[in-house]
Amino acid sequence: MSLLEFDEVDKYFGETHVLKDVDLDVEEGEVCVIIGPSGSGKSTLLRCANRLEEIQDGEIRLEGQSISAADADINRLRQRIGMVFQSFNLFPHKTARENVTLAPTKVKGLKKGDAERRADELLDRVGLRAQSNSYPNQLSGGQQQRVAIARALAMDPHVMLFDEVTSALDPELVGEVLDVMHDLAEEGMTMLVVTHEMGFAREVGDRIVLMADGQVVEDSPPEVFFENPKTDRGKQFLSKLL
Amino acid sequence: MAESYSEGRTGDGEYQEQFLNDKTLRRLGAAIAGLFTLGVGGFIAAIIFTQVDFELFVEIIHPQFVNAFLRVLAIILVGSLLSVTAGIFVGLGRVSNTGFTNAVATAYVEFFRGTPLLFQLLVIYVGIPAFWPPGEFPISNWQYPTAIIGLTLNHAAYVGEAVRGGIDAVPEGQMEAARSLGMSYVQGMREVVLPQAWRNALAAIGNDQVILVKDTSLLTVIAVPELISAFRNVNSTTFDPWTPIILVAIAYLMITVPLGKIVSYLEARSDWGGDRR
Repeated sequence: MSLLEFDEVDKYFGETHVLKDVDLDVEEGEVCVIIGPSGSGKSTLLRCANRLEEIQDGEIRLEGQSISAADADINRLRQRIGMVFQSFNLFPHKTARENVTLAPTKVKGLKKGDAERRADELLDRVGLRAQSNSYPNQLSGGQQQRVAIARALAMDPHVMLFDEVTSALDPELVGEVLDVMHDLAEEGMTMLVVTHEMGFAREVGDRIVLMADGQVVEDSPPEVFFENPKTDRGKQFLSKLL
Repeated sequence: MAESYSEGRTGDGEYQEQFLNDKTLRRLGAAIAGLFTLGVGGFIAAIIFTQVDFELFVEIIHPQFVNAFLRVLAIILVGSLLSVTAGIFVGLGRVSNTGFTNAVATAYVEFFRGTPLLFQLLVIYVGIPAFWPPGEFPISNWQYPTAIIGLTLNHAAYVGEAVRGGIDAVPEGQMEAARSLGMSYVQGMREVVLPQAWRNALAAIGNDQVILVKDTSLLTVIAVPELISAFRNVNSTTFDPWTPIILVAIAYLMITVPLGKIVSYLEARSDWGGDRR
C-alpha cells in the first residue's frame, strides 16, 4: 500500500474533462514532483488530494483510507495532509505564531502553551523565529510562504502538498522557500510538489511526473526525465524549457 | 502624443493661464467652505442669541429631555446589540450554500429592507395585540417591546447585507487554508472568515447603527416618550420652537458622534500590522 493513491481519477469542471483516468501512487518518504504546461491539471490533481475539489469517478486514498468517498471523515483526514498554496493564504488577522497555533489548538485541542512552544520550534526551523509576532502584511512574500509551511507542519502531516508555492514570489525570494522544502525532503517528508522550478525538481525530486491534457504522460526518475525522457511529450516539454 | 503633452503650454514652454487650474480650484474650494462655515455659524449664533430662551432651556433639560434621552439611549443599546447579533446570522444565511436557508435569508432582507420601518412598527404595535380579544393583551407598555423588536428586525436586514458583503470580500483561499488544516466549515467561519468579514463590514455596520439611532425618532408615533415627543410637548405648551430644537439636536449628536468614534476605533484596532510598521 502506498501512502497516497490516485486510482483512475476523473474530474470534470462542468463539461471540461480536466483529469482523465489518473493513476498515481506516492510512496512514503518520496518527493514526487508534478510538472507540465498550464492547464494540464497539475494543481487540480493536488487539490483533489485533500478534497478541496471533488472528483467524479475513481478513488483517492491516504494510507488506505478513502478521501473521496461520500462518507469520508474529511476533517480528520485533512489533518494528515499539509497543504501550501501559491498565494500563501496566511490569516491576515493573526500573527505568524497565531497562524501556526490556530489549527493545533482548535482542531487537535492542544494547550495554548504547548502549541506556542511547537510553533516557535517550527518558525525557527523555517528561519523566522524573530518574526513570530509579525502580522503577514509585515512580512515579505518569501517569509509569508515559509510561515505557511510552518503552519501546515504544525498539524504533523504525513504528506505535504505544494501547489506552485514559488510562483507568486519575486525571483530573489524563491531560493529561501525552496531551501526549506529541500530540508523537509531530506528529513524524509513525503511530498507531492507542483512546480515550474526545474532545478528544484531535478535536485530534490525522486520522481518526475509529467502531466498534459489531464493525463500522466510520463513518470520517470529525474535523471532519466531530464537527460533522456522516455516519451515524445517529455522531449517536447523539455525542448520548450530551453 | 507629442501634441497632447504640450497642451496648455505656449511655444516657449510656459504654462498658459487656464480658467480653472489646480491652484484656483483649491482656493475656490476653500472660499466656498469658508462662506458655508460663516453662513451656518452666523445662522446658529443668530438662533442662540435671538430665539433661544435660556430659562426655558434649563427648565426643560431635566427631567423632560434627560428622561427622553436615557430612554432612547437604552432602546438604542439593546436594539443595536440585538440587530448586529441577528444581522451576523442573516449575513451567514445570505452566503449559505443551502438553497433553503439562502432563500429564507434573502426573503427576510427583501421584506425588512423593502418596507418602511414605520410600517413595521405599526404592524407589531397594532397588529400583534389584535390576536387577543380587546383589552386582554397581556403585555403592558407594549410600545417598548415593539420598539426593540421593530428596530432589531429592520436593522438586522441592513447589518446582514453588510456582513454578506464583508464575507464576500474575504478571498476564497482563506476558507480553503482553514479547511486544509482540518478545520470544519464552522471553525473556518468563526476563526478565519468572520473576523476579516467583520472588519470589511465595520464601516457599513457603523453607518447603519447611526441610522438606527435616528430611527428612534419614529417611535414618537407609537407613544414612546422619546426626543421628538419631548420637543412636541414643549413646543405645544410654550410655542417656542428653537429652544427644544436645539436640545433635540444636542441629544442626537451626543449619541451619533461618539458612535462614529467607536467605529473608527474598532477599525483602527483591526489594522493587523498595516500601519504599525
